[in-house]
Amino acid sequence: MALGIKLARAAIVVAIFALWEALSRSGIVNPRLLPAASDTLAMLGQLLQRASVRNDLAVTASEVLTAFALAVPFGALVGFLIAENRCFAEVVKPLLFFAFSIPKSIFLPMFILVFGVGFAQKVGFGFFSTIFIVIMSTTTAVEQVKVEYLTVARSYGATSAQTALRVYLPSMLPVLLEALRISMIFNLTGVILAEMYASRDGIGHQIASWGENFQMKQLLAGVVMIATIAIAFNEAVRWVETRCSHWRT
Amino acid sequence: MQPLANITPLKSLPRAGAIEVRSVGQVFKTSTQDVVALSDVSLEVKPGRFVVIVGPSGCGKSTLLMMMAGLRQQTSGTVTINGAPILKPDPDRVGVVFQEASLFPWLTAEENVEFPLALRGVAKSERRAKAQDALRLVGLDGFGKRHPHELSGGMKQRVSIARGLVQDPPVLLMDEPFAALDEQTRMTMGDELLRIWAATGKTVVFVTHSLTEAVYLADEVVVMSPRPGRIVDHLQVPLARPRTYEMLSGDAFGRLRDRIWRHIKKSA
Repeated sequence: MALGIKLARAAIVVAIFALWEALSRSGIVNPRLLPAASDTLAMLGQLLQRASVRNDLAVTASEVLTAFALAVPFGALVGFLIAENRCFAEVVKPLLFFAFSIPKSIFLPMFILVFGVGFAQKVGFGFFSTIFIVIMSTTTAVEQVKVEYLTVARSYGATSAQTALRVYLPSMLPVLLEALRISMIFNLTGVILAEMYASRDGIGHQIASWGENFQMKQLLAGVVMIATIAIAFNEAVRWVETRCSHWRT
Repeated sequence: MQPLANITPLKSLPRAGAIEVRSVGQVFKTSTQDVVALSDVSLEVKPGRFVVIVGPSGCGKSTLLMMMAGLRQQTSGTVTINGAPILKPDPDRVGVVFQEASLFPWLTAEENVEFPLALRGVAKSERRAKAQDALRLVGLDGFGKRHPHELSGGMKQRVSIARGLVQDPPVLLMDEPFAALDEQTRMTMGDELLRIWAATGKTVVFVTHSLTEAVYLADEVVVMSPRPGRIVDHLQVPLARPRTYEMLSGDAFGRLRDRIWRHIKKSA
């Protein structure tokens, strides 16, 4: 059963690539617009050999990781403080929803004006794209910790530190990991968008320029590259998530 | 290494606690009015007794229990256990068994039982040995590695009882522990609890809204009525022990249950 599901999934992925190949090779779709899958994958291999592309990937990775490393602890702390104080939570929560609903991309020109074009602009925008979802997820995670658990801890004389470490943290962990995963999607989107909009390096910048120069093979190879990286990260966190939340039914 | 420590019951000598509740009152202040939750409640529980507090919802029976557990402070009056007032939770004197779903789902059964010991920094091996003893006492030998979602409702409450007993406190407080169980499981758990109580000699205070459960389990039944919460009757249950299923249909049982029911009907 489980094997059957995995095979079916693999078959769908193979079928998509086969269809892509067929459409291009047969000329149903103009190969200049849609280069064949095999050519694209070959191009991907070539691109990965290039020092410039590797450098672009390193630049993007450093921006993404920096933004993530800043946004997650900061957002988690703010989220925790908001949820801890019921009154404050009442006041602030709707405002966070307002902020969250605004498309972050409209602020991009402002980030360029403030930070210039460079590392700080990407990190700043990545941080800004991620922070709201982290705050909201942490708030939710704190709120879903059952009062019963806290009462049990109290009745056995737990200190605040023990309650935080032995009750809040394990109880919140599955939700926090999920939040981490979703935050990375927002973060990656933010950084790459910032690179595509105005940048001198980074893989997002490369993809934008391949597009402008009508280099479809390179463009599609870049898309496959980014997609693979994003999926890999997502799956890695999901794997940890299932290991940590086996007790959730 | 003392291999014996793993097979002997929790404690060979029963160690029971005396509870004294004196003129306890509890007032909740709301924006419009003051609500009197408990009014002048006094109660004495002798060491080793099994006392059941029964009453309709809102009579303050759980509130009273939470005060004995130190989880809630009364507005007036005192609660003492073994001569010293209870001002905050004191796991040395009191173990608490809560309603359903108070086990931590991310811990195994034995880790749940070990939790109170872990808070006090007891060494892992000692913790494990004590948890094994407590699980054996409640009849869950061999289930220690399971997570709560892999246990039935009755088994979960057994784990809760083991957690309440693992530090060997003289008093065990139980807040409607079997309320969420089906009828058969509830009867079985009642018998199990009486067996555990007989084996450990603890003082037990048990809150329920089931009259049958109250009479079946108790040495003494304390009846409470709402608005304001107060004690309206305190009766002795002269039924022999061990209690049997046949007693449920006996005259003595029926008379006791009727007496409690009349109090409750009056206050409803």
